[in-house]
Amino acid sequence: MRHILAIGGRELRSMFVTPDAYVTTGFYLLFAGFIFFASLGIFISQLQQIQALGMTQLLEQWNLQDVVVAQSFSTFALFFAFMVPMLSMRAFAAERANGTIELLLTSPASSGEIVLGKYLAIAVMLLLVNGLTAAFVGLLFLYGNPEVLQTLAGLQTLFLYSLALAAICCFISALTRSQIVAGFIGIAASLLLLIIPVAADSSQSESLREVLRWAGTSTHFEPGMRGEIRSEDLAYFAIVILVFLSLARAAVDSLRWR
Amino acid sequence: MIKVKGLTKRFGELTAISNVTFEVAKGEVVGFLGPNGAGKTTTMRILTGYLPPTAGSASVGGFDLGVDPRSAKRVTGYLPESPPLYPEMRVHEYLSYVAALHDVPRGERRERVARALASCGLEKVSERVVRTLSKGYRQRVGLAQAIVHDPPVLILDEPTAGLDPIQIAEIRELIRRLAAEEGRTVILSTHILAEVDAICQRVLLIAYGELRLDARIDALRAQGSLEQVFVREVQAATEKVAAAKPAAEVRA
Repeated sequence: MRHILAIGGRELRSMFVTPDAYVTTGFYLLFAGFIFFASLGIFISQLQQIQALGMTQLLEQWNLQDVVVAQSFSTFALFFAFMVPMLSMRAFAAERANGTIELLLTSPASSGEIVLGKYLAIAVMLLLVNGLTAAFVGLLFLYGNPEVLQTLAGLQTLFLYSLALAAICCFISALTRSQIVAGFIGIAASLLLLIIPVAADSSQSESLREVLRWAGTSTHFEPGMRGEIRSEDLAYFAIVILVFLSLARAAVDSLRWR
Repeated sequence: MIKVKGLTKRFGELTAISNVTFEVAKGEVVGFLGPNGAGKTTTMRILTGYLPPTAGSASVGGFDLGVDPRSAKRVTGYLPESPPLYPEMRVHEYLSYVAALHDVPRGERRERVARALASCGLEKVSERVVRTLSKGYRQRVGLAQAIVHDPPVLILDEPTAGLDPIQIAEIRELIRRLAAEEGRTVILSTHILAEVDAICQRVLLIAYGELRLDARIDALRAQGSLEQVFVREVQAATEKVAAAKPAAEVRA
């Protein structure tokens, strides 16, 4: 535990003193904020049109929650496919390029502790980013009345989704000494997981369709963003995190053999 | 303090070291000598638990690296060929981090860091960011991280490589003091003969992955200059390898 905290604490401090994390999260917040308030603007003008036309029936389906909040969450998920790999790519690749991996591997810390320390630092960073996302989504509550529970469910789903991506990208980072390579493969993997459910629909075989649909991240975050927390989605994220952290541990272990 | 028996390491086809056996007693300062690529770094990486051996065994401080690597690592201070520094950290932060990694209790860390800073002459740069330090200072920070958890065994891989003559003299003096002050056991690798002459009591000479010589410095001096011994042994090893080669090709 002490090793995990030492490694995680160091990683987090170094994220705060180097520009990488600021740039990455800064751009995410900029784009996310822009999309959010733009969609809010569109929503308001459409609402006014509907009212002007007197289509009161349509008003019942046309609510802030579905049109602005849930939609924005889906867009944030797309941004996460870029932001999380950028935050995670340095985890092991930088240590290897720097030669500091030798310090870690000749210290009494185990491979598992090293992986958990790194992951902890990224998780804290993601908690911060999700907290800031929650802050500007929360602004809506000052002016409107979105559904509290649905919004919270969406935020929780977004956080779990980012943790799953971080585990995948941690593993990828342990495979290479180049941060750039780790970053690009991480982005590609995250985008691929986002779109494979779409590919699933065009598949001929029913079982393949099922598998592809299950494997995709979007299958599991979309219900949560609509406010529906399903245990199968929670299980999916837990499985992804556990599997990829174990793989990362095996990858770090294998560094000792080269 | 250090026991190595029949140590062999192969990387695929390449045999980096083969059947290396030696022992180092407590308080001894041993020079690990050999031409570049002889297997010095590989041997040190096995001793620090970074690489597992293909065959043979190694123990440090009485802990077998194959059985209890954690305990062995706790009693070892290691300076790799290039010091494992984080450029964005302050010197004292970095040392405190290394101390935590090596299980120094929180309450003792501040004092341990202060002692390592003082031993290595780093008090003035303790607040500096590593990136801004000169090469000589970085090497000192590398030495400080190796001793910050007060290990009885020090393993130093080419500690003076790439330094200017004054820095080399300073680092040598520092190593001599670190060895003497706590009765530490030290293995340092180098291909500079004068370095061994200046710091060590004993020489291990390795060439083409085989241990060629294990002798006390004063005994060697009686045989002539260190350089003559070095050249003679390396040449003998080269001839042996050259003679063995055709046989290996026939087998292949």
